[in-house]
Order: sequence, then structure tokens, then C-alpha cells
Amino acid sequence: METYQIYILTSAVLFVIGMGGVFMARHFIKKIIATIIMGGGVFLCFVSFAQRDALTFADPVPHALVITGIVVAVASAAFALALARRIYQLTGEESFTNDK
Amino acid sequence: MMIKEVITVILLLVGCFFFLAGTLGVLRFPDLFSRLHALTKADNLGLGFIAAGMALHIASPWAALKIISIWLFTLLASSTTCYLIARFQKEQDQPKNGKEPG
Amino acid sequence: MSVLIDLLLAILTVYLALQCLLAQRLSQSVFLFFAFGLALALAWVRLGAVDVAITEAAIAAGFMGVLFLDALRDFSPAVSENQEDLKAVQNPPSKNATKSLLLPRLALGLGLGLFLLIALEAVWKTPDGGGLTAAAVALLPESGVEHPVTAVLLNFRAYDTWLEIGVILLGLLAIYAAGGINLYRKPGVAAKDPLLRQVILFSTPVLFLFGAFLLYFGKTGPGGAFQAAVLWGAIGIMLHLGGWPVFAVLPRWLGQLILTLGLGFFLVLGFLFMARGDALFEYPPAYAGILILIVETLAAISIAAALTTIYANINQMQEEPKQNESTT
Repeated sequence: METYQIYILTSAVLFVIGMGGVFMARHFIKKIIATIIMGGGVFLCFVSFAQRDALTFADPVPHALVITGIVVAVASAAFALALARRIYQLTGEESFTNDK
Repeated sequence: MMIKEVITVILLLVGCFFFLAGTLGVLRFPDLFSRLHALTKADNLGLGFIAAGMALHIASPWAALKIISIWLFTLLASSTTCYLIARFQKEQDQPKNGKEPG
Repeated sequence: MSVLIDLLLAILTVYLALQCLLAQRLSQSVFLFFAFGLALALAWVRLGAVDVAITEAAIAAGFMGVLFLDALRDFSPAVSENQEDLKAVQNPPSKNATKSLLLPRLALGLGLGLFLLIALEAVWKTPDGGGLTAAAVALLPESGVEHPVTAVLLNFRAYDTWLEIGVILLGLLAIYAAGGINLYRKPGVAAKDPLLRQVILFSTPVLFLFGAFLLYFGKTGPGGAFQAAVLWGAIGIMLHLGGWPVFAVLPRWLGQLILTLGLGFFLVLGFLFMARGDALFEYPPAYAGILILIVETLAAISIAAALTTIYANINQMQEEPKQNESTT
């Protein structure tokens, strides 16, 4: 079993965990964390394939894409966090459901 | 050459032991202050041993210097964090005045 | 032996991700998220992607973790009692699960399981495409830098990087819009603690130097604009926390100039190339190295400023008067 194969499997599992978290988690922060975990799975998949296609060094294009992707994911997660805190300040709600 | 590798392995093992002890302390100790104690003191000692082992293992002196400086910065950061957390907890405890056994 | 390390690391990553979502208290979630990011960074080192590892550890685990930690002050520490989590999928007949929720949850669990199988199958059987390594190797001498990832980021796919800097600014604008634009109303409370002040003052030049080193080192090895930007952003955040909000003392136009500097310079450079008859962001090979270094420096300054401002803005949202305090 090659190194990249292990991480490809991990990436699929991480993506599904994150997806389940997006659906199941109640609290805003957990939902945001779940999306980041989902993104982590996707990035791991990219980098694993980069490792598979390595010649003298690993394929740099997926690496660059992943670096870009991480920064974009963080920017959007920060925005989501700002929205969540604003919602909490205005309404006192910590999740989307209001059937408490 | 052989002696150097043996010393490296011994240093890494000792470092791992201190890490294990520190982690055990964080998991088992009853209150925040003793946990902080385990986390900062034992783990930094372990990190120091591992850094020493790696610095010995690596060939170039510049890389060794970098590794040692990583350890020094970790020491600085973790001791500051420890102090801040402990002070925060102490300020939190002050009004209650000794409800929790120290 | 090395496969064993990878297996352990993979299991650890998955376990941390699960625990992060299953944790009862919010603070546990956030700290496990830190750990998850660091484990993922280790995985990237194992995969030979050191640039990505630095970025992940610095931005995704560090910066995002700081934002989450800050958010913990805002949300109530005790998570609501009736919190359903992933566990409910695994043991379906949980007691307080109402009948109406059981069916969707079972469907969701089944769907996720099926999806996992499909994803595993698809990912496992992806044909060997060869990737773009050969193309990158062939073009590397013309790019002006020696590190392939930096070459792709700042030269071959400079358009993506430019857009990315734009996305960060866009995120900042969106946060302004969400939180009201009255940023830096008050200059922040100075940290009372003398030790904290001294440590912050000590680590500011060190972090700056380390960021500059990473920036320059990106030419030949792992490092570059984003990694340097996060370190410089960390300086800004620390100064903000220590009671020196850097952007509050600057005049407004100067702050805005710094924020847009990277994006603007990049774009002007691209237009200049177009005026010469080249494509957008097609560097002339003779000057590529120095131009990339300038672009990287300005982009790093802008991104650092944007990260600092994002943090400061989110940090100060909490201090606005709450309109509805009786709900918790």
C-alpha cells in the first residue's frame, strides 16, 4: 500500500464526515468546522494525486491550488463566523432550528 | 558514527517518555493548575530532548541551530501562555475565594 | 514502517475530525479543531507538500482557530441540551429522538454511507493521468524562481492567485457588511499585564524577520507570500490583543491603501504586460524573479493587513450593545 493511497482513502472518509457534520451539527460553529473538514478532505485528495504524479518533485499545480483553496476556505469561514456571531447578537439563536 | 546514533535514539526515547508523562498528567490531574504544570513543564522538557536528538542527528550546524531555536521559541510561548491562563483562572477564582481546592 | 506512520496519522486525522464534530462542549470542539489542523499539516508533510503544510498550520489551524476561540467568548459555553450529533446516526433508536426525525436521519446515514462507498470507489480507480509535473518542470527555468510551487502560484497561475487576494478582500468587505462598519471605534484596552506586553514586544520583530525569511525563501524552497502573510498577520493580531491596534493609529486612507496594495499592484502589472503585447500576467523571463518578489512582498503585506482587520473586526463585534440579552 502506497502512501498516497492511504491518504486518498482518508480524504474520502474526511469528506463524508464533514458532510455528515454539515447536516447533523446544530451549532453554527460546528457547522463551520464541518465545512472546513470537508474542504480538508478535498485538499487531501488533491495533494495525494500530486504525490502520485510525482517525477523529481510532486506535481506543483495541485499544491498551488490547495494553498489558494485553503486561504479562500478560511476567508469564507471567517465570513460565516461573522454572520453567525451577528445572528447570535441580534436574536440569541445559536443554531438554525428554533424548536427548542 | 554509531555512538552518535545511539545517543540520538536515547535522547528521542527520553523525549517521548516525558511527552507521555506530560500527556498522562493532562489527562489525569484534577485541576487546571496542575494540568498546566504537566503540560508546560514535562512537554517542554520532552520537546527539548527531541530537539537535542534531532540536532545531533542532522548534519549541518545551521539546521541544528534552527531546531534549537524552535525549542527556545516554544519555551517562550508556552511559558507565557501558561502564565496567562493561570492568571486568568486565578482572577476567576478570586471572588469565590477558595471554593476549589488548590 | 513508514506505511505504519501514515496509517496511524490517517486514523488520527479521521478520529480527530469525528471527535471534533461529536464533542459535547463547544470549547472541546474548537480545541480538537486545532489538533485536527495540525494532524492534517503532518499528513501534508508526509505527502511532500511542505508549502501546504505551512499554510495549513498557519492559516487553517492557527488563524481560523484564533477566530473560533474568539467566538467562544460570544456564544454561551454550555451547548444546548437537545443537541443531536452524528452519534444519532450510528445508534438509531436513541430515546429522545422523535419519530419524525428518525426517518430523515436514517436516510441521511444511509446516503452518507453510500456516498462514501462511491467516493472510495471513484477515488481508488482514478486513472493515471500523469498530471502536470512534466509541463511545470519544462517551464521552470523561465519562471524566474526555482521552487515549482511558487512558480505555479506567482507565474503560471498568477491569475488564480490574484483572484484569491481579491477573495480575501471580498471576505473582509462582507464581514464589514455583516458587523457594521464602525471598526476601531475605540482604540482597545491596553493589556495590563507587563509580561504579556514584553513578550509581544519581543516577538514582534522576531515574527517579522521570520516572515521575511519565509517570503524570500519561497524563491528556492517551501515558503512564499501566503505563509509570510500569516506570520505578519499574527503580528497584527498580537499587537491588537496587546492593546496596540495598529490600524487604528493609521489614517483611514493609508489603511485602505495597504489593504488594496497587493491586489492593485498585481493588476497594474498585468495591464502593463498587456500593454507590451503579452498576455495578462505573462512575465518577461529576464525580470520575472525580481517582479515576482515585489508582487509577493506587496501581496503579503496586503493579506497580512486583511487578516488583521478581519480578526479585529470580528473581535470587536462582540462589544456592540446587545439588543436582546434576555434570551440566554
